[in-house]
Amino acid sequence: MKNTIKVERAKKNITQAKLAELVDVSRQTINAIELGKYNLSTVLALKIAFTFEQPLEAIFSLEESDWET
Amino acid sequence: MNVNYLLPYSFKRIGWVLLTLGIVLGIVYFGINESPQFLDFPVIAIMRQSLLGEVVFFQIITDNIFNEIIALLLILGAIFMALSKEKKEDEFITKIRLESLLWATYVNYAILILALIFIYELAFFTILIFNIFSVLFFFVLRFNWILYQSKNSLK
Repeated sequence: MKNTIKVERAKKNITQAKLAELVDVSRQTINAIELGKYNLSTVLALKIAFTFEQPLEAIFSLEESDWET
Repeated sequence: MNVNYLLPYSFKRIGWVLLTLGIVLGIVYFGINESPQFLDFPVIAIMRQSLLGEVVFFQIITDNIFNEIIALLLILGAIFMALSKEKKEDEFITKIRLESLLWATYVNYAILILALIFIYELAFFTILIFNIFSVLFFFVLRFNWILYQSKNSLK
């Protein structure tokens, strides 16, 4: 799964730490999501989209490898 | 709904203290191979059997409880360290936690299987004693290593 969190953060000028605080997770978690190392839960995805005032699909999108088992 | 069976974060520090104490006393115990006299206590033995002796039930016997104290310190210390929450216990941490638990279980039983095949008599008994704590030790090491790595990759 790809995401545009880094871009959205840049647009709103907020740090990983600030975003982590806003959605109530640790900074490592935001970092791991941005690096594509962790597939987050739906709830957290919704919270992040809500924070950026964007629809879910604007931030998260499927990629080819998501269809491979 | 947020059910989890973890202990509060503050238990981690208690765990550190108990575990350190247990390891230090454990080294002392194996080093001097003697138990302090004042720890001879009457204890309730629900079941006991000496080497080649018969099994006896429900007896009050005198035992030196030094090794029991060390084992309890090690178990409780390791449990507190392993199963208390992180400062921010979120879903990513939970994932690392569960993966580490799985990893520790594999490693622990791989070692036990190797010991079963290659280690015999009293030496095997020593491995079994180590095995009382080993799953927790492996878990704590692996879990904290991954946490450390993910914190390190921040900057």
